[in-house]
Amino acid sequence: MTVTRAWIILVGLSALSTLVAASGLDGRWLAAAVLPLAGLKGHVILNYYLQLALAPEIARGFSLVLGLFIALLIGLSILPSA
Amino acid sequence: MTALHSLSFSQVSSGGPGGDAPPASPSAQAPDRPDPFDKLPGEFMMWVLIVSELLVFGAGLVAFLALRITDPTGFAEAQSHLHRVGAGINTIALVTSGWLAALAVQAVEAGRIARMRTLLAPAAALGMVFLVLKASEYADLAAAGISFETHAFFTFHILLTGFHAAHVLAGIVLLALVGILARPRAVETGAAFWHMVDLVWVLLFPVVYLL
Repeated sequence: MTVTRAWIILVGLSALSTLVAASGLDGRWLAAAVLPLAGLKGHVILNYYLQLALAPEIARGFSLVLGLFIALLIGLSILPSA
Repeated sequence: MTALHSLSFSQVSSGGPGGDAPPASPSAQAPDRPDPFDKLPGEFMMWVLIVSELLVFGAGLVAFLALRITDPTGFAEAQSHLHRVGAGINTIALVTSGWLAALAVQAVEAGRIARMRTLLAPAAALGMVFLVLKASEYADLAAAGISFETHAFFTFHILLTGFHAAHVLAGIVLLALVGILARPRAVETGAAFWHMVDLVWVLLFPVVYLL
């Protein structure tokens, strides 16, 4: 993937986050929708802006930690509305 | 097979071009696996910095959401005072700035110094746009009598976004410096710092401004 395509994806994901936030969703549903989008943006930045795609083993490690971190954030976000 | 055997043997027995190294241990006789860290783009120390910064901001965001459990209504009310639209614009400004910085790395690697500088200048300018919008939010909060101590939300908001804004400022200075130096390794390292700033913001923005 080129960096220009990565940028287009990042702008698209940011627009999608804004749409979800403006849609009136709140509480656990907003967290469950918006935080994975943030995780995807992080994944794109790590792999294509920071070029971790060139080091696949390390990229996998970063993706795993990022995924766990997003899951933790979702869990903490859901608790107040549970 | 013979060639492979002789290659392994010569590597093990010579220990290098000089051929006078001590005999290798049995574990060293296994074919060398490429070190995954060799493939890391940019300076290794910049990656150490990136990981440390991500850990610091990550801990801050976890603490923020953990504290929010104790007072969800207060946090939601406090959040309504923030500039959500401005923060959304800042997201686009940073990801676009990161794109320009990534293109600048490609330009300097191709020996196109003038193009690299033409790309880094708007990348840094978008960083300034970010800081202006952020300053406008802080000014409005101050005008409304909201400070660091008004509510735990604002304590974390100012700490997290203020620390991040300091990194944006440092990143702008770094982009200017590597643009002047015009060395591929320096530009790659400066851009890596800038992408880290970008990465932190895309994680911070939804937690502090949207949830």
